Amino acid sequence: MDTVQFLMNGFGVAMQWQNLLFAFCGVLIGTAVGVLPGIGPMSGVALLIPITATLTSGLDPQSAAASSIILLAGVYYGAMYGGSTTSILLNTPGESSSVVTALDGYQMARQGRAGAALSISAIGSFVAGIVALLGLTLLAKPLSQLALSFGPAEYFSLMLLGLCAVSGLAGSSITKALIMTVAGLLLATIGMDNVSGVSRFTYNNPYLYSGLEFLTVAVGLFALGEVFRTILDKDNDDGKVAKVGRILPTKQDMKESTGPIVRGSLLGFFIGVLPGAGATLASFFSYITEKKISKRPETFGHGAIAGVAAPESANNGASGGAMIPLLTMGIPGSGTTAILMGALIMYNVQPGPLLFEDNPQVAWGLIASMFIGNVMLLILNMPLVKVFAKVIDTPAKYLLPIIVAISIFGVYAVQFNIFDLALLLACGLLGYFLTKNDYPVAPLVLALVLGPMIENNMRRALTSSNGDFSIFVTSPVSLLFLLIGALWISIPLIMKMRGRSVIINEED
Amino acid sequence: MSRTFDRYASIIFLLIGVFFITESRKIAATSYGSNVGPDIFPIGLGILLILLSIKLFIEAVKSKQEARGGEKPDYKRFFIIFAAAILYIVLLEPLGYVITTFLFLLIGFQVLERGGWLKSIVIAAAFSFGVYYIFVGLLQGSLPGFPV
Repeated sequence: MDTVQFLMNGFGVAMQWQNLLFAFCGVLIGTAVGVLPGIGPMSGVALLIPITATLTSGLDPQSAAASSIILLAGVYYGAMYGGSTTSILLNTPGESSSVVTALDGYQMARQGRAGAALSISAIGSFVAGIVALLGLTLLAKPLSQLALSFGPAEYFSLMLLGLCAVSGLAGSSITKALIMTVAGLLLATIGMDNVSGVSRFTYNNPYLYSGLEFLTVAVGLFALGEVFRTILDKDNDDGKVAKVGRILPTKQDMKESTGPIVRGSLLGFFIGVLPGAGATLASFFSYITEKKISKRPETFGHGAIAGVAAPESANNGASGGAMIPLLTMGIPGSGTTAILMGALIMYNVQPGPLLFEDNPQVAWGLIASMFIGNVMLLILNMPLVKVFAKVIDTPAKYLLPIIVAISIFGVYAVQFNIFDLALLLACGLLGYFLTKNDYPVAPLVLALVLGPMIENNMRRALTSSNGDFSIFVTSPVSLLFLLIGALWISIPLIMKMRGRSVIINEED
Repeated sequence: MSRTFDRYASIIFLLIGVFFITESRKIAATSYGSNVGPDIFPIGLGILLILLSIKLFIEAVKSKQEARGGEKPDYKRFFIIFAAAILYIVLLEPLGYVITTFLFLLIGFQVLERGGWLKSIVIAAAFSFGVYYIFVGLLQGSLPGFPV
């Protein structure tokens, strides 16, 4: 069967009524997550994993995995839509990927053009979603074929590259990011060693034999950490919500934003494919590019519609592009995709080159559902933007305790034990202190997910080479990956030494 | 704050590295016919972590960044909510989901902002009963019910 046939089958899966419902819930919740300042896409996705796990418990494993990943991915790209709403109306970005949108978006809102800004960002996101989808469809097969030719040594180096990329761009200090990565890898060794069957660092604690549950750690670090931060730092600013006004953009608006949308989508997609470079970076780059090539760069920062269209297209394109390394090679490139990967592994679906052969239903169903989800978002966002603007007013008083309650419910419903709840609270505290002091937690979660696979591939490679470490540099592909990884870490360092400011990728 | 925190953190990470190395050496040699045992990976990472924390310590000592000013964190409200969360998870199994969730939410709402008792009670009750009955009744999940 060729790609088109697979894609059609994927649409067959995505069009099943329960999957349509799941996609709809996903994008709806995602938009709300994007709008609410307290929770970002990472904590949103992490919080929903246990809920989807229960919702899909009646289905067979394949369709359960397909349905829940459809919902979770919907939350991910839905949040990209929603994040722009607060940037434009309140000048407070819901996510870091919408920070640049606020520059021109809020100015437009002050000029009474909030409606146009919101709808152009919805249209831009939609176009970018479609571009990402086409790219995904075209690249999925060749990339997974390529990945199939990799041996354990190549895989080890590729995953190392992924970790380097994420650490190199996360947070203000590379040392701190690397420490978090190594700490995550160490935490991943807790539990039964799946090569030799020896238990490590378990101290006869039965809950530790299966290792630290990734879900508990992720929800604790992201969702609870964020709640604790909001409580401790009294972060309840009451900004004034701008009026939405006329929704449809004018012809002039459309004309001015066509170019930025197309460029933003393509740029965002390719940045998203690179591991470590997520939506935040994509939106920054596209904004800078538009400003450079614009005929009237002085209008940027004063309500230029191109300054809204480009970054909003780029961040959505990037979230689609980020699916490519995840689905074809099994390497998540960002915190949120690491969480999606953890969710897939929970369902015994291993993302990677074999995904398209072993679980075509999951892979192509997800790709097709992203198309449908984007259509839903467009329909949902144009008329309902005023409703979502109201969501911003949800008082923190009710929101914060409910997020804690949902986290506890979610973890308990999947794990059924108090040990994980205690771990959850501990991770929440840890998440607060770490993020407050610029220790990025995304590399830790990524390392926790990749850890067992990295170790496995390393040991398989070393076993076949009789313990000779040179196997990682004698294979040309592996050497190439290691070199790129080293560059990824050292280039920002060198730039910093020269006093250049480096754009960093905050959690996304 | 940041500088002191980094110094303490570097020492803690250093100790974690030492801990993983010494504990890895106790792992029984594998029966697997290979010289790449289950201890190599954690030992290597432990060494890496020690090196990185030394680097962090040096950076923290060298940096001249002064403590960031700003508002003092709101510890009082945080401690009450955190204590309530600990009680919540301890009492979850003996007292059941509905009662503990209701109480936790009510405390949380009131600590964050006093007043509006009726609204708080209604929301807390709706959430705890709603989640319980949807999850246990509709989805056939399992949660600790009520104390017998």
